[in-house]
Amino acid sequence: MKVLVCYKWVLDEADIFVNEQDLSLNFDKAKGKINEYDRNAIELGASLKETVGCELYAATVGKGVKASVNDVLSRGPEKVFYMDSPGLDSLDSSVTARLLAAMIKKIGGIDLVICGEGSSDFYSRQVGPRIAALLGYASLSYAVDVQVNGSEIIVTRKLDDGTEVVKVSSPAVISVLPEINKPRIPSLKQILAAKKKPSTSLALEEIGLTEADLATSLTFGDVAAAIMERKRIRIDEGCQDISEAVAKLIKQLRADRVLN
Amino acid sequence: MNKVWIISDHPETAYELAGKAKTLGTSLTAYVLGDNDVAQRVISFGADVVKLMQLPQTTVWEQYLSVLLQEAGTENPELILVASTCRGKDLAAQLAAKLDCPCVTDSKKLEEKDGKLVLQRIIYGGLAYQDIECNTFPVIVTIAPHTFEKGEPEEKQGEIFNLSLIGEGPIQVVERKAKEAASVNLAEADIVVGVGRGLTQQSGLAMFEELAKLLGGEVGCTRPIAEDLKWLPEERYLGITGKQIKPNLYLCAGVSGQIQHVYGIRESKVIVSINNNENAPIFKVSDYYIVGDLEEVIPALISALK
Ligand SMILES: Cc1cc2nc3c(=O)[nH]c(=O)nc-3n(C[C@H](O)[C@H](O)[C@H](O)COP(=O)(O)OP(=O)(O)OC[C@H]3O[C@@H](n4cnc5c(N)ncnc54)[C@H](O)[C@@H]3O)c2cc1C
Repeated sequence: MKVLVCYKWVLDEADIFVNEQDLSLNFDKAKGKINEYDRNAIELGASLKETVGCELYAATVGKGVKASVNDVLSRGPEKVFYMDSPGLDSLDSSVTARLLAAMIKKIGGIDLVICGEGSSDFYSRQVGPRIAALLGYASLSYAVDVQVNGSEIIVTRKLDDGTEVVKVSSPAVISVLPEINKPRIPSLKQILAAKKKPSTSLALEEIGLTEADLATSLTFGDVAAAIMERKRIRIDEGCQDISEAVAKLIKQLRADRVLN
Repeated sequence: MNKVWIISDHPETAYELAGKAKTLGTSLTAYVLGDNDVAQRVISFGADVVKLMQLPQTTVWEQYLSVLLQEAGTENPELILVASTCRGKDLAAQLAAKLDCPCVTDSKKLEEKDGKLVLQRIIYGGLAYQDIECNTFPVIVTIAPHTFEKGEPEEKQGEIFNLSLIGEGPIQVVERKAKEAASVNLAEADIVVGVGRGLTQQSGLAMFEELAKLLGGEVGCTRPIAEDLKWLPEERYLGITGKQIKPNLYLCAGVSGQIQHVYGIRESKVIVSINNNENAPIFKVSDYYIVGDLEEVIPALISALK
């Protein structure tokens, strides 16, 4: 079985800061990372490689994604395919899915595609099901458990009103929820070994697409930080001890009428 | 807009969407999971036609994709609103891919302005909002439950049909299990006491429970407390992937204040935090805070309240 994991290279949201004057975002300190949700997808791929002995590939598209290659390879995949171009910044899910589906077709023979639930930047949760629809594969989303026996795949889905266990023969696209597993931290040995693994850069023409395929009819406007106006008062300032601070807090909360 | 569709596997959300959709289009068809009563209600909230899509016994609900594609081919809807449930989001994304159109997930806005549709998404784990404009159709928009208020039902006639699947598709359902009824509804609580990983021992939960009880509130927590440590049930963790609450008071201790958690508590009227790290990000989003050890502050709070 050939398995391919899709992942997104995103800015680390913990290092994005709000400029309080104009509510714009400051990305100066934000570095790229493998989207956390996709780490669960990669972990599932890595564990399937161990348990059922599949071949495991990874694929990504975006601006600056070449920087992710060693990182992803240290997490289990044997090979990574990527498309890196300045024009692929902030892609809409429709475009991401179109590019990844075309790459998967080009690679050929992929029985199982694994995606994370969504990406920590835009969290649209569309790419997995969209790839499935574009490739004509079954879409198995919100997966919390996956069993593979030969070509049979059994997935437990966690939905709003309960769980649903489904069975399908490959090919399929599975989108996993974060709770499915706990991604391993790559060891030094794996990090070093990653440098020797192959990576393939693909261009738009090579996957049979053109610039026109990068278009979306959506216009994305300005970003405004969702700032919370909070008082930020340090209660224990000037207090002798904890019990004084606590008494002051309770008094304040009663004055604010949020406590009886 | 001419034709608007709504698709929902959740009746209440169908009612909310119908009310909203009615203001945007001249004709409204609703594809819903439910019985005749549900259909009548969707009509009373604005739908002209209701097509019922029952949950198939042997395959997934998303299998209606092929029927919907056929319908879209003849009906040409311009706007398709989908309830942002798990099934809804999967179906919406697949339908968008097949129709080769954009889809905006969990839009917070839905307004028409100069022939354009204005939508809004939340990005970077809740850090910011971004408006999105769309002026080519069709477009699919998923809307989370409770985003819009349900309107007033009206006396209204409409047509009701039952939709059948075209073929079973490749996915076979082996088993379905209903979720156990939630024991709490944190979204309704007036006071929530939050606990994070600053608590190092499970036995310490007792003091958080005692404090919550004294305040007449409920205990909530961060994701690692529920998902990694499994000290509290999942229904109690707050955040972008957890519950979103809007109590009068959220008082938390040992919570660092990562953006994903803060997303779940931002609607709180007053936020109080206790953390032993003077630079904890949670202080930036708090009204009042105490720099201190939760092992001391929580017991002190309890005795003061007693
Ligand atoms: C994609 C994604 C989605 C996520 N969704 C959610 C979500 O919905 N909800 C959520 O909560 N998290 C979510 N997270 C996790 C989130 O990023 C944080 O890791 C998590 O909220 C941190 O939990 P915490 O504050 O309990 O723990 P930590 O970050 O470990 O913080 C512990 C805090 O306790 C303080 N502390 C330690 N000892 C004491 C003491 N004795 N007294 C007082 N304070 C003390 C420390 O100073 C620290 O600030 C998500 C993460 C990702 C990547």
